Amino acid sequence: MKKTRWIGALLAASMVLGVTACGSESGQSSTSSQESSQTESTKQEQTAASEQGESSGEAVELTVTWWGSQTRADLTQEALALYEEQNPGITFDGQFLSGSDYWNKLATSAAGHTMADIVQMDKAYIQQYVDNNMLVDLQPYVDSGVIDLSNVDPTVQEFGRVGDGLYAICIGVNAPALLYNKTLLEENGIEIKNYMTMDEFLDVCREVYEKTGYKTNLQYNNGTSFMDYFLRASGETLFGEDGQIGAGKETIEAYFDLYVTGKEEGWLIDPSVFAEVSIGQPEQEPLVYGSSPDRMSWCAFYFSNNMTATVNAAPEGMEIGITTWPSNDIQKSNYLKPAMFFSISVDSEHPDEAAEVINYWTNSVECNEILLGERGVPVASNVAEAITPLMSEAEQTVVSFINDVVTPQCSDVSPASPNGATEVYDVVYKLEEAICYGEMTAAEAADQLLTEGNEILSNKQ
Amino acid sequence: MRGKQTAALKKSNAAGIRFKKWLNKNSTAGVIFALPFIIGFILFMIVPMAMSLYYSFCRFEILGAPRFIGFDNYIKMFTDDPEFYQSLSVTFFYALVSVPLRLVFALAVAMILLKGTKLTGFYRAAYYLPSIIGGSVAISILWKRMFAEDGTVNRLLQGIGIDSHYSWLGSTNTAIWVLILLSVWQFGSSMLVFLSALKQIPTTLYEAARVDGAGGVSSFFKITLPLLTPTIFFNLIIQMISGFLAFTQCFIITQGRPMNSTLFYVVYMYQQSFNFYNTGYGAAMAWVMLILISLITLILFKTKKFWVYEGGM
Repeated sequence: MKKTRWIGALLAASMVLGVTACGSESGQSSTSSQESSQTESTKQEQTAASEQGESSGEAVELTVTWWGSQTRADLTQEALALYEEQNPGITFDGQFLSGSDYWNKLATSAAGHTMADIVQMDKAYIQQYVDNNMLVDLQPYVDSGVIDLSNVDPTVQEFGRVGDGLYAICIGVNAPALLYNKTLLEENGIEIKNYMTMDEFLDVCREVYEKTGYKTNLQYNNGTSFMDYFLRASGETLFGEDGQIGAGKETIEAYFDLYVTGKEEGWLIDPSVFAEVSIGQPEQEPLVYGSSPDRMSWCAFYFSNNMTATVNAAPEGMEIGITTWPSNDIQKSNYLKPAMFFSISVDSEHPDEAAEVINYWTNSVECNEILLGERGVPVASNVAEAITPLMSEAEQTVVSFINDVVTPQCSDVSPASPNGATEVYDVVYKLEEAICYGEMTAAEAADQLLTEGNEILSNKQ
Repeated sequence: MRGKQTAALKKSNAAGIRFKKWLNKNSTAGVIFALPFIIGFILFMIVPMAMSLYYSFCRFEILGAPRFIGFDNYIKMFTDDPEFYQSLSVTFFYALVSVPLRLVFALAVAMILLKGTKLTGFYRAAYYLPSIIGGSVAISILWKRMFAEDGTVNRLLQGIGIDSHYSWLGSTNTAIWVLILLSVWQFGSSMLVFLSALKQIPTTLYEAARVDGAGGVSSFFKITLPLLTPTIFFNLIIQMISGFLAFTQCFIITQGRPMNSTLFYVVYMYQQSFNFYNTGYGAAMAWVMLILISLITLILFKTKKFWVYEGGM
């Protein structure tokens, strides 16, 4: 008795969460149609599901954990609430954190064998979790049809394969995307085209700075994906296949030289800006957050699925545009990537139920009508097609960006990051910082990355 | 047959009596009452400490199993890790500057609050407040906002006519001072200890001094300060240890930025353990800190006889 009451309260709570999530989204034109189609279909599902629920009878609570923005948190809670409605007996405990805290928390919970049932996973981390047997091989669920991938492109299916097992299901596709302040650039007559070369990009940085005072953020201390992208143009990668740094000194130096140039010419955003914000949270990105042009950036090196959160975070009257990251060889640099995965942890007591949730996430049109591609374009083609008309303008822009701009001009994504990668990222951050504070030249930074990076990587082998 | 039974009965009786006697002994009762603490202490202090000591001799990447590697972590720390020395020097600077400042401040406020007015009670509570909430995440975030380029501090400076757009947290010169200021602001608990000590100084001493012609300043240095030295000593030890172990402020406000100029030892330890997954190395760092703090405390105790007045009044 006590238990059921408790579950009821939890359900109510999650529904309230769902409602508030709806409320905050009400600015978007698609909401009303989305809501009505939701309620209609849930009714049908509910009758079907309640029979099912009675037969199983047992209450199951699944923990789901993810990183991301407030927008993502709201949408995810709403989609989980819908699943609870359709599957009485299943309740969720959703736990979300910002990107940097997420991995600390996940590692400690993994060490204590108290990982959440369903964990959001990233290409940069999956290797070490698989190496340490922390994730369930999902291949059997795919084979038995519990997780139905029949509408998913074979390449995308394989994104989650590590070694012999399928340890993760990709829950969205994205691509590197340069988000920019469209309003500002249009007002000043500065044109942005897709597939900019590095020189064209630098010219834009200079022009924007001269005309408006807005600066440029070159993905300062927020991952190394732009560095990798830059290196790929000359056929190199940050992490090579031999478990060492996969790029030569000249190319790395050329990358760090972007910072030196920006600092000398004045268009590079001052690193002190980042002392005051949480780096990587779209809400605090200098593109949309800041008090004056010299503390803001006209662009952000992000991924296409960050578009929604960035548009939501943008102040009124600021339109956000999307284009490719600059590269001297777009074909080689650019890629489609798994935005993120869902995995099931070995600590889960209900892996079967968790697998069904992943299936729901992949194939349920209603679920994705709520999510609307916030984690990247849905992987199941029929789902992607079904939800496109419901999407806001920004979300539709992302889909056409992926389909029409990235897909024709891209190559395979770099392999999963090796053990020790997080420590190498930190080295890169420190070097970027040292250059910005004028303590180091690009050549010194390149040397140090090679020596320190290789030492870290070989220690971790 | 019967005799055997009585003998057995006697024996069990005797055992019962002995058990009762044992149970009624003071020490037994004490142990039983202390058991909840003892069990907690063993489970949550001794066992984790033993484990961390073991991990400090291991290569332990949190996700995998620990592997024994002897003294490698310690050797690497002292021979091949500039950031270790950087974090050590930042932490020493922080503790050595903020603790004396905080004590001076606490003593000054305590002296002021000693003079009774109607609002003394309110002021005491108000000044104690920061040390309750000061270590919290919310205050750290508030502090971060206050010292931002468009934050309260610069606004106030602009208000009094200084056109300040200084990024307090973005400069290697000032970021550490923002943290020190936050620490000094939390002077409340030291202040309370000082207050109670000040009240115990007999007023007769001051009266006698006044009769002898001593002014306020000289009676402070000749009477108040010497009699306070035991309290200062206590505060110094307690605050020094918490200074070396400071974490939240740095973790929330600066994360060691910029250029590692605010990289506290414990934050670096956290980074090694949980960001880079070098958990064995982090454990070794924890033990080095334990030894350092013990040494410093020991040295402070050794200096006690030179400056702490322990005689009666």
